[in-house]
Amino acid sequence: MARRLSFKDAINEALFIAMRADADVIVMGEDVAGGGGRKDQGIEDAWGGPFGTTKGLIGEFGPKRVRDTPISEMGFVGAAVGAAATGLRPVAELMFIDFLGVALDPLLNQAAKMRYMFGGKARVPLTLRTNVGAGNRAASQHSQALYGFTVAIPGLKTVIPSTPADAKGLLLSAIRDDSPVIFCESKSLMNSEGEVPEGDYEIPIGEAAVLREGSDVTLVGMGSTVHTALAAAETLAADGVHADVIDLRSLYPMDETTILESLAKTGRVVVVDEATPHCGMAADIASLCADKGFDSLDAPVKKVTAPHTPVPFSPVLEDAFMPSADDVVVAVHEQLGWNA
Amino acid sequence: MATPIAMPKLGITMEEGTIVEWPKAVGEPVEKGEIVLIIESEKAEVEIEASASGVVRHYYAEPGDVLPCGSLLGAITEDAGAPFDPAAFEAEQAAAEKRSAGAKRTTTPRVAPVRAPAARRGGKAAATPAARVQARRLEIDLGRVAGTGPGGRITRRDVEDFVERRKDLVAVGRGVQLDVPRAGAGDSVLLLPGLGTDVSSFAPQTGALATSHLVLGVNPRGVGASDAPGDEVYSVAQAAADAAQVAEGPAHVIGASLGSAVALEMALAHPERVRTLTLITPFVEVGPRLDAVADSWTRLAAEVSAADLARSLLPWFFSPGFLADAAARERVARGLAATVARVPAATLARAAAGARAWSGSRAADLGRVAVPTLVVVAGGDLLTPDGAAIAAGIPGATHVTIDDAGHGITIEAADAVTDAITTHLSAQD
Repeated sequence: MARRLSFKDAINEALFIAMRADADVIVMGEDVAGGGGRKDQGIEDAWGGPFGTTKGLIGEFGPKRVRDTPISEMGFVGAAVGAAATGLRPVAELMFIDFLGVALDPLLNQAAKMRYMFGGKARVPLTLRTNVGAGNRAASQHSQALYGFTVAIPGLKTVIPSTPADAKGLLLSAIRDDSPVIFCESKSLMNSEGEVPEGDYEIPIGEAAVLREGSDVTLVGMGSTVHTALAAAETLAADGVHADVIDLRSLYPMDETTILESLAKTGRVVVVDEATPHCGMAADIASLCADKGFDSLDAPVKKVTAPHTPVPFSPVLEDAFMPSADDVVVAVHEQLGWNA
Repeated sequence: MATPIAMPKLGITMEEGTIVEWPKAVGEPVEKGEIVLIIESEKAEVEIEASASGVVRHYYAEPGDVLPCGSLLGAITEDAGAPFDPAAFEAEQAAAEKRSAGAKRTTTPRVAPVRAPAARRGGKAAATPAARVQARRLEIDLGRVAGTGPGGRITRRDVEDFVERRKDLVAVGRGVQLDVPRAGAGDSVLLLPGLGTDVSSFAPQTGALATSHLVLGVNPRGVGASDAPGDEVYSVAQAAADAAQVAEGPAHVIGASLGSAVALEMALAHPERVRTLTLITPFVEVGPRLDAVADSWTRLAAEVSAADLARSLLPWFFSPGFLADAAARERVARGLAATVARVPAATLARAAAGARAWSGSRAADLGRVAVPTLVVVAGGDLLTPDGAAIAAGIPGATHVTIDDAGHGITIEAADAVTDAITTHLSAQD
């Protein structure tokens, strides 16, 4: 049975399922418990962070398994890496991926290296949940899509769901994976709704999803830009141009096969990413297509990304900064020679 | 025995050409039909194909050299070990050239004008990787395929469409085959398109006609997958003879613009093949504006992308009222881009020369047309404004004027044209 749930509630449900199924799963971060248990102040339950994703956890699992931490990313991410290395299965919440810089060493030099440096004898079953992306009027320091940083670090896995159902299933996979997984949550999707199956299920890490099938062009999106790609595909269909829309879901490991099979069918690829254009997923996928898909290419691979600038705070500029469905349509028209 | 590579003569006015590139090094093997030389003439780069397989043995000229048409530029031998003396071969060729001075060249190379210089990379034909792979697999010479992709690049679909169209080939004599798409069944209808376009300009009419007729769309010489002989002029009389060959028996003959000139010529020269005549936006004389547009069209076709060429033609083909609809304008811009991509600049030049040579030659013969005739006139036609007078000159002709429509009337006023034709044909059945 499936019912409609919001993206954030699907994440919340996954956390409940994981914590009920495995006593080693703990949650830690800033405001994850937030005021829980203060019955004297009329607070029955946790605030659950800025999006309420951890709401209610402290009530069921108590303060030993749901821990508020000081505002020190270096401190609690380091503690989570240590907890993972010594037998727990922590889900740490880095409120915004923009704070990655202050928490980088435990991730880059400890979590990502342990399984390798100890010959596979150490496990680091850490999940780091974090908000990514623009569109929430949160300004330059709380709006970036920095997953390209974590994709670039060998030893980390990075995933980014685009639907509530995938958010639940991918989070359960991430928590149960013995390697550190960066779980990215697109801010602009947190209130979106969709059908979510009941119960415990996993979406495998490393598998993309084909959300729409067409023969003329392949649109690759991730997180919020999956919806940008779907909107563009709808516009293109009215002009008789039919798009395959691929939801990448896992950024690393990336599902190369699904992209290349689609390219072989369509001959054209447009990557839609709300990250900035350099050293990112769009560049990687363009490189993949040029390398392993060269003989299938019928037009240059197009990158539709944010520009190489900080995210603007002005709402007008922020909207212009985000890749739009129109940008995707224009890119496809260029590939078809319609604007040549 | 060696085969010469010579500076081709690609048009009446061409006297010399510049060597742009030798894609092959001396000693490299070459297949017949492979591009062996790129030259520039009148600002257009043209790829020249090898007329024999073997090994590139010797070059007599270098990139940058400007040489008269007919000059010996290089030699291909069967293999690297075949006896070959460059100086002796040059002398032998010069003697042969002298003997055949004035005579038609026997080894006219097939030419493929390059539309968009921007799409050329390293001297290779402007084709996408997918198109190259598909062309190799289907054994297609990319030089014959029109490109509709960005910057005029040949795409995989262009190659596949070309192969598909080569299945519709009909022989019209002397080894020339025309690309004649067929639809429907019944009495024959022949569709003859105008200058620089193909039978896709009748797409809106084809479906309706095919419900009760066998519709034969005749793509003229050099258009689409039809053969493109190296003649300097594609005459209207030849086009009419070709169409008569395609017709086999008496057919309802429908021509638009230059196609109507061919249809009229058919009715006069091959009356046994014409059951009824439909002349859409016809002319019997090439007026100054039609002449000027044909001239600029031919020049642009050699220089700019199909997309840009199509946009430059819109004001001539469509009325202001039609162009006011932005969506319709975009749609016809794309459709016309795909159409003009199938007509190389060399074909345009040859067909325009044929139209000019024919101009005026049949003005006095209209009264001799002896089949039921429909004349469809576009009220806002900028290119062929004499339709009403032509209708008046043909005995018993039905005259339909579609108010305000532009020259591209089969597209702009598609339904009105279809209705006029079906009414005309059903009156004869």
